[in-house]
Amino acid sequence: MAPTSPHPTRPPPKPARNWPLWGGTIAFLVAMTWWSAHGIGFSLAELFCNAAGGKRLLQESWPPDFGFLPRLIDPFMETIYIAIVGTVVGGILAIPVAILAARNLTLGPIIWFADRNFMNILRTLPDLFWAMLFATAVGFGPVAGALALSVFTIAVISKLWSESLESIDMGMPEAVRACGGTWLQMVQFGAIPQGLQHYVSYALYAFELNVRASMVLGLVGAGGIGMILETQRANFEYERVTMIILAVLVAVLIIEQISESIRKRLA
Amino acid sequence: MNKIKSQGSIRFTDANIVYPNGTVGMKDLNLEIKPGEFVVIVGSSGAGKSTLLRAVNGLNRMTSGRIEVDGVAVPQKDGRELRVLRKRIGMIFQDFRLVKRLTVMSNVLIGRLAHVPGWRAMFNLWPAHDKEVAMQALERVGITEKAWVKASQLSGGQQQRVGIARALAQEPAIILADEPVASLDPVTTHQIMQDLVRINRELGITTLVNLHFLDLAKKYGQRIIGLRFGELVYDGSAASVTDDDFRNIYGRDFTEDDVLDEDVVG
Repeated sequence: MAPTSPHPTRPPPKPARNWPLWGGTIAFLVAMTWWSAHGIGFSLAELFCNAAGGKRLLQESWPPDFGFLPRLIDPFMETIYIAIVGTVVGGILAIPVAILAARNLTLGPIIWFADRNFMNILRTLPDLFWAMLFATAVGFGPVAGALALSVFTIAVISKLWSESLESIDMGMPEAVRACGGTWLQMVQFGAIPQGLQHYVSYALYAFELNVRASMVLGLVGAGGIGMILETQRANFEYERVTMIILAVLVAVLIIEQISESIRKRLA
Repeated sequence: MNKIKSQGSIRFTDANIVYPNGTVGMKDLNLEIKPGEFVVIVGSSGAGKSTLLRAVNGLNRMTSGRIEVDGVAVPQKDGRELRVLRKRIGMIFQDFRLVKRLTVMSNVLIGRLAHVPGWRAMFNLWPAHDKEVAMQALERVGITEKAWVKASQLSGGQQQRVGIARALAQEPAIILADEPVASLDPVTTHQIMQDLVRINRELGITTLVNLHFLDLAKKYGQRIIGLRFGELVYDGSAASVTDDDFRNIYGRDFTEDDVLDEDVVG
């Protein structure tokens, strides 16, 4: 309690706001933005000058070509298949990766360190990079997409789950140890029951991300609806492009709603 | 199953445990516990009661000295030898340590983990014999009707009975009970203590119980061991322990916080 205050119950006076810090931060952000915009030749004036081109593109893109919709079904299903395979394969492989990266469960500092770095590498490289890599390795098509999403899924789930595993109560794992259980049994019977709900939740979240990502993967030849999008765009069929974008938007929204409601129920 | 065990002796020789932060958990401990004894360990918190119990099954490692179970030194590193030792030592915890989302039966079967081939446990393919052992363990603590109920649905006393059943399912030579009644109400406390005493008598399992209530120690203990700052300061029969002995163990006059039933304070 501040001894200077005549009223012992009164809180101390509100500290003055640090104006130089605030002003400095704002000035810094403005300078950074201006510098970056200049760097890429971005200017509002230019945007207005090109507005006519943008307007023509919009006119050509409307109305969406609903007649094209039936031809979207197969590639769309392919996209979903890619997302499912990627989520399941990646989800299974993420289990050991996550467990060995959890400080409280890992098998030793060297394995922990190696696994952490492995995860960092997976996470640092974007999904499009993996798609291009696998498209080169196994050829263009959905298999490359599924492989890319498997890697992406390992990266997502292992990062999230290893952190939630680190916060489990270690009492039960210790009890399994005290019974003479092995490391694997400690993990299976002591740790995983506590982390299961989180795992399912993260796997569903990864599936949402994968559906969205598998739309884009087609752009680099990894199968699915993105491939159709790229072909139509290259042929200047903008009304079909609009149709595809609309369909994707609706599908992603529906899948996210379903997944989210399941995850909420799990929580 | 569960015939009288002829084994279950524990011997500490010049055993010391110093924790990494410098706290002394065990100091020059020399102690011998005979098969089938019921030993209550008392002392204020931080006196080293848990340290002593956890040294017996190697959950705490020694800084120096030796602990033997049935003449075999407790291994001081993880591995097969330590698992073989732990297989014969059941442990009961203050916070029960059950998998709440699993059935009572699944929890008791964890006590059989070290007795069956690894792949069987992994895929939940328990041999009939092991399921029978688990069921008999539940019978022993009188909650067979809860076998297929989720552990989370049980009361505290029932959960601790599952904890005891899990230890019994190991068919152990020794049971270590670390403050087994500290999170229970007085009535349940007496029931659980009676269970532990009865099991000790019926099966001859060497039983070590940490307690912080003096009256419980006196009522249920056969032999009482008093610890203070990791040192053995009392070792004698429960029948002859006096209030002065307790004062010496605690290093102070005791209060009603030290007893479960307040009217016992003399």
